[in-house]
Amino acid sequence: MGILRLGHVDVTVTDLDLATAYYTEVLGMIVVERDADSVYLKCWDEVDHHSLRLVYAPRVGLDLMAFKVEHEDDLSDLENAVNRYGFPVQRISKGESVGQGESIRFETPSGQTMELVHDVEKVGGLLPKINPAPFVTGVPGIAPPRMDHLLVTAEEVGEATTFYTSVLGFRVTEQLLDGNGHQIGTWMERSFSPHDLAIVSGPNGGLHHFAFWLDDWESVRKAADTLAYNGIQIDVGPTRHGVTRGSTIYFFDPLGTRNEVFTGGYRPDPDFPTITWTEDNIGRAVFYYEGELNERFMKVHT
Amino acid sequence: MSILRLSHVEVRVPDLELATAYYCEVVGLIETARESERVFLKGWDEHQHHSVVLTWEPTHGLNHFGFKVTELEDLDLYAARLKEAGVDVVRYGPDEWAPGHGEAIRFTLPSGHSMELVHGMQQVGNLLPLTNPPPKPLGLPGIAPPRIDHIFLTAEDVGGMTDFFVDVLGFRVTEQVVGDDGFRIATWLEVSHASHDIALVTGSNGGLHHFAWAVEDWTALRDAADVCAYHGVRIETNPTRHGATRGHCLYFFDPVGNRNEVFTGGYWVDPDNEPTIWTEAEMGRALFWYDGVVNQKFLTVHT
Repeated sequence: MGILRLGHVDVTVTDLDLATAYYTEVLGMIVVERDADSVYLKCWDEVDHHSLRLVYAPRVGLDLMAFKVEHEDDLSDLENAVNRYGFPVQRISKGESVGQGESIRFETPSGQTMELVHDVEKVGGLLPKINPAPFVTGVPGIAPPRMDHLLVTAEEVGEATTFYTSVLGFRVTEQLLDGNGHQIGTWMERSFSPHDLAIVSGPNGGLHHFAFWLDDWESVRKAADTLAYNGIQIDVGPTRHGVTRGSTIYFFDPLGTRNEVFTGGYRPDPDFPTITWTEDNIGRAVFYYEGELNERFMKVHT
Repeated sequence: MSILRLSHVEVRVPDLELATAYYCEVVGLIETARESERVFLKGWDEHQHHSVVLTWEPTHGLNHFGFKVTELEDLDLYAARLKEAGVDVVRYGPDEWAPGHGEAIRFTLPSGHSMELVHGMQQVGNLLPLTNPPPKPLGLPGIAPPRIDHIFLTAEDVGGMTDFFVDVLGFRVTEQVVGDDGFRIATWLEVSHASHDIALVTGSNGGLHHFAWAVEDWTALRDAADVCAYHGVRIETNPTRHGATRGHCLYFFDPVGNRNEVFTGGYWVDPDNEPTIWTEAEMGRALFWYDGVVNQKFLTVHT
C-alpha cells in the first residue's frame, strides 16, 4: 500500500555518450534502451526496465525522481492526496514513457518533479530464476546490485518534509535541527531502510546526489579502487555517516552530478522513534570519522 | 495494514541459567526481564521489549514464534481470516502473556507450530541515544547482533504449509527447492522485502530447524565464528554462503541443543517478485553454495 521504494532517477546530461560510457564502464550499469535524447540504464539485480534515465540537455540537473507504488490504485489515492494539498497532478498515459505504463507527475514543495508509477516493464535481473549463482560475473566497474536513495535540496526543509510525510506517507527516521529547532535536513523512508529520500537546505529543485546500494564495507573499498583507477573525482570517503550509520563514498560523474555508493544502515519499523541531530554535531551527523563537513559537499549540487 | 516482520521466538531450555549465560555472554543479547521460569532478551539495536524468550522446560525446541503487525486492528483482521480457514485463535490482552509483550493472537499452524501475531510490544529503546547517536555501541560482549532476522521450521507438508502462509497470512515466496516429483522440499518466504523472514524444510511437524540474527557483513560473521570457537560453542557450519537467499551464514548450537544462525546479505524483493526455483539436483548448492552437497546432518538434526 502506498509508495514502495525509489523507482528511477532521471538526470539531464550535456554529453550523452560520455555519461553513458561512465555509467556503464565505471559504475557498471546495463543499457536497456536508447532513444533520440535518452539512455535508459539499470543495475544487474534490478528487474524493472530502468533505474536511471540520462536525458540530453544543455545543463545538468534532476529531470525527475520516480517512486514505485505497491498497487495500481495507489496512484489515484495519492493523486487525490496531492490534489487536496493544492498541487496540480499530471496523468501520464501508457505509451508516453519508455519502459512503463500509466504514471502521475507533480511538482513538490521542494521544487522537484516527482513521478509515481506502478506498471513497470519487467526486463529481469542478470541471474536466471532457476538454480542461480548468488552473484554475477563479468559486469565491469563497481557493479552495484541496485539503486538505493536520493538526496534533494529545498529552501524550506520543514515544509517539504511535511508534504512528503503527511501527503505521501514517508516516515522521518532522522532529522538535523538548527539552533532554533528548525529542520535543515531530514531523512525519510518507505522501504524500512534508513532513507529512500532525504532533503537538505539549498535551492528548490536541486539534486545533491543519488546513491547505489553495495553489499558491505569491503565492496565500498573496492568501489574506491575502481573510482581512483578510472580517474573519477572523489568528493568524500570511504567513510561513515552518523545519520543512517551507512558507509559511503561520494564522487562525481564526468558531467558534475554527484553519485554515492552506500551500504549499512538499519531496519526501522513504522513506529521507529525519529533520531535528532543538533547543528553543533552536524559534522559527525554527515561524516562520522571526519567530524566536519567540506565546503564542496555543502555547496555543490546540480 | 499487514504483517511486518519476525518479532520474537520462545524456545524451551532445560537449564535456564546456562542458556541465559550463553545468550547474554556468547550471543550478546541483553536481558530485559526475568521471571522464575522465563528470561526475556533482545538484540542491542531492537527497540522492542524482547525478541528471544527462554522458557524453562525439561526439553529443548520451539514453544512459539511471533510476527509483528503494523496496526492493532490487524489482529482482528487476521483472526477473522484464520477462523475462516478453520484455525482456532486465542487472544491475549495487553501484556497478558508476558511483561511488555503487548496484545497478540496465538494459533496452531497446520504443521503443529504455535504462531503468534503481536502488536504494541513495549518499546524500551535500543542501546543508543535518540540525539546525536554514535553508529553503534562499544564494549558489548559476544557476537552482539543488532537484531533477530528469520526463523526456519520443519514441516511434513512443506507445499501445504507454504500455501497456508501465502493464502491466509499474505507471505510471498522468494525461493523454493522443487523435487523431481514436483513437490516442494523447501521454501523461503518474506513479508519484509528481505530474501526471507521464514523458511520451511521437509521434516517433522512442529520442529525448529534454527532461528537467526542479522549481522552487518562477512567480517562480522568471521568475528562471530571467533567468538563461538573461543567460548567452546559447537559450530556446525563454518562461515559459508547460501545459494538460496544469497546470504552468508554461520550455524552453531546453543548449550541445550537449539540451532542458531548469524546471517548477512540477501537482497531486496518487490511484492511482485517471481520466485527462484532450485531443482532437486542442485539442492546442495541451494543450501550451501560453496560445498554444493546436501549436508545430511544439517537436514536431519532439528529440535
